[in-house]
Amino acid sequence: MSQAVMDGAAPAAPRKDKVETPFRRFVSEFAESKIALGGLIVFTIIALVAIFAPWLAPQNPYDLAQLDIMDGRMEPGTVGGAGFTYWLGTDDQGRDMLSGIMYGLRISLSVGAGSALIACMVGATLGLLAAYAGGRTDTVIMRLVDLQLSFPSILVALMILAFLGKGVMNVVIALVIVEWAYYARTVRGTALVERRREYIEAAQCLALPTHRILFRHLLPNCLPPLIVVATMQVARAIALEATLSFLGLGVPITEPSLGLLIANGYEYMLSGKYWISFYPGIALLVTIVSINLVGDQLRDVLNPRLKK
Amino acid sequence: MKTWIRRRSIAASAVAVAGVALAGSQALAQTATIAVGAPVTSLDPHYHQLSPNNAVADTIFDKLVNTDAQSRNVPGLATEWRAVEPTVWEFRLRPNVRFHNGNAFTAEDVAFTLQRLPNVPNSPSSFAVYSRPITRVEIVDPLTIRLHTAQPYPLMPLDMTNVRILDKETAENATTEDFNALRAAAGTGPYRAVAHRNGDRIEFERWDGYWGDRAPFQRVNYRMITNDAARTAALLAGDVDLIDQVPTSDLARLRSDNRVRISETVGLRLIFLGLDFQRAANENSPFITDNDGRPLGRNPLRDVRVRRALSMAIDRRAIVDRVMEGAAVPANQFLPQGVFGFVADLPAPAYDPDGAKRLLAEAGYPNGFRIQLNGPNDRYINDARIVQAIGQMWTRIGVRTAVEAQPWTTFVGRAGRQDYSAFLIGWGSNPDGSHPLRNIMATFNSERGWGASNRGRYSNPQVDDLLAQSLTELDEAKRERQVVDAMRIAMQDVGVVPLHIQTNIWASRRNFEHTARNDELTRAQDLRPAAR
Repeated sequence: MSQAVMDGAAPAAPRKDKVETPFRRFVSEFAESKIALGGLIVFTIIALVAIFAPWLAPQNPYDLAQLDIMDGRMEPGTVGGAGFTYWLGTDDQGRDMLSGIMYGLRISLSVGAGSALIACMVGATLGLLAAYAGGRTDTVIMRLVDLQLSFPSILVALMILAFLGKGVMNVVIALVIVEWAYYARTVRGTALVERRREYIEAAQCLALPTHRILFRHLLPNCLPPLIVVATMQVARAIALEATLSFLGLGVPITEPSLGLLIANGYEYMLSGKYWISFYPGIALLVTIVSINLVGDQLRDVLNPRLKK
Repeated sequence: MKTWIRRRSIAASAVAVAGVALAGSQALAQTATIAVGAPVTSLDPHYHQLSPNNAVADTIFDKLVNTDAQSRNVPGLATEWRAVEPTVWEFRLRPNVRFHNGNAFTAEDVAFTLQRLPNVPNSPSSFAVYSRPITRVEIVDPLTIRLHTAQPYPLMPLDMTNVRILDKETAENATTEDFNALRAAAGTGPYRAVAHRNGDRIEFERWDGYWGDRAPFQRVNYRMITNDAARTAALLAGDVDLIDQVPTSDLARLRSDNRVRISETVGLRLIFLGLDFQRAANENSPFITDNDGRPLGRNPLRDVRVRRALSMAIDRRAIVDRVMEGAAVPANQFLPQGVFGFVADLPAPAYDPDGAKRLLAEAGYPNGFRIQLNGPNDRYINDARIVQAIGQMWTRIGVRTAVEAQPWTTFVGRAGRQDYSAFLIGWGSNPDGSHPLRNIMATFNSERGWGASNRGRYSNPQVDDLLAQSLTELDEAKRERQVVDAMRIAMQDVGVVPLHIQTNIWASRRNFEHTARNDELTRAQDLRPAAR
């Protein structure tokens, strides 16, 4: 038996046991929940708006030259000095809220997805390593995970940002450090079960290098729970980024994300100028809820235990 | 029978309620509660030069020279003062003044206080500066004291408005801790402190032996509520009767609320931009590049035309109306009209973006350049919003501006090391033009103590000369001319870019009346029941 055949066959075999026909089956199961489908559609729209914001937004809210302080705090529907209508009003700097939300979504989504991706890679690697190596490596990594999870994530993120300073990149770093532990623990749990399976033993008998066993054999079989955790963590990362920006530790003040937009309007809430905080808040809420709906359904579809 | 009992108990409780209400309204006239935004760090009046501390110290203690709401000198514990010789100031002391512990006030107490100023351990910002010019204290008789100086010293009365007089017998050997624990806090002021919880509250009681007008309240609670929204909410809920530092975002709503009365006055705090004078004309300034992000090879801020352009590009009216919600006045110099050293003939700050572009082109920057404007985000009213607004205005004349706002502690350290090219900062002046001149516009010189807050390192020998003359000039008219001339030169030179002078705003319940002070101090004696 050649190695190549082994490689290709091994991951496919157990997956067949869990999800019988791969993609089409998965899609139809996912679509069973209309709410989740709705969530997916809403999320797709949000993602498209975020990606195409520079072409869709009436104003570049990050270009100070396009803002006019004289248009500050205008009510939704007012026509501003630049000639177009501020459908969602403006903030204290005269920033069009609609454009601000579109651009803010860009930051929120890219920070959320980016940090989740990196955290997923780091966490999955460490989790696999812990499960596969066992012994002292396992103990060290898992105690680190325990330590990490015993602190509230917002506290850890605040400390990291206080140390690193402001900036989008630093927010991503902070979120990765906060989140990798969730992936590590999930992957380790699944991998512990999987590593006792025959296909791993077979791979070991063939004296395949460790990295190959880890990433080509073990990892693909740990993917379903990882995907579920990753979806949930994207939503969490977006919320955490918004929190950090709200507290003034995230993005620069001239390039607000949703959290900072909400913070900008917070002081005006008592004065009846609700729209500065309200609309970015709605945008944040809808984004997180839609991701969570998708994530929930993914969990139901991908989790073998729920299927029996 | 049952009904009868119930009816009687209702009647009884109605009487009780009426009684409580009556007691309440009487208590209202007797007690006032004040909430301030900035915590008081100590009751020792010579420990920390800080507005909140000074406000409380002014309630408990008196000074030889007191100041009125517009910061003009008025007799305090001294009834009159004059320079009997060029280097000798004589103060005639007020007779029949008693401290809160009953001791009589005499020249001995003044001499003791002056001697204590430099000897307060661990003082974060010392009051020693006020006793330093004094070379000898001469007690002529119990109610006359003479202060000798090495050189003629015109600022002596102004200095004495900062020195709260202690009782020698009580305060001798007293530590700052003894003041905080109220063991040594006996002054001559209208109220005496009867309870103190550090950073939380101080309770005052009327001092019936006060030499001046009797204080209107038997008791005043002085609470510190640092959260702006909580302070406003406490006022609206009726928990407190007066708040200071009213947030501008709540101002419109409070003005329209008929339960609330606003008291305000133009203050002495200028918000301005400091510019980099540290780098020579042919050096790079740290946060200035050309439009492609490459070093410029020169410091455009050393060219007065560029500085004028940057100043002309700023629409101060828009900042005052839109960002400050009217709680400021546009400024072209450090002090408001009517204060000693105000330059009357400086033109009002003009907003002229086209003129600014022309000036930039003339100076060799037809396409502008890039700059970063720094500022604090937690120190002055709306500070981060102001820097963003200026970022807009500068970008519009071609000076592409990035904006960064940081917490004050980080910001002020870097500004003090000349790390920035342009930065927003503020200065609360004493009511005398020589004060901002000496601290901000004078050439930095640590031996002389000049330019201590000159973070941009502006330097002009003409300004320094005029200032030096004024600091030994006893003829007030002549001295004012020198101060005015020095300030005019510094402002025409755009040594700093003045933006606006903040308005100090208080809000009280309708049945209270408060006298707004331009020195920002929130003092118990400035609050009284409203006249009906």
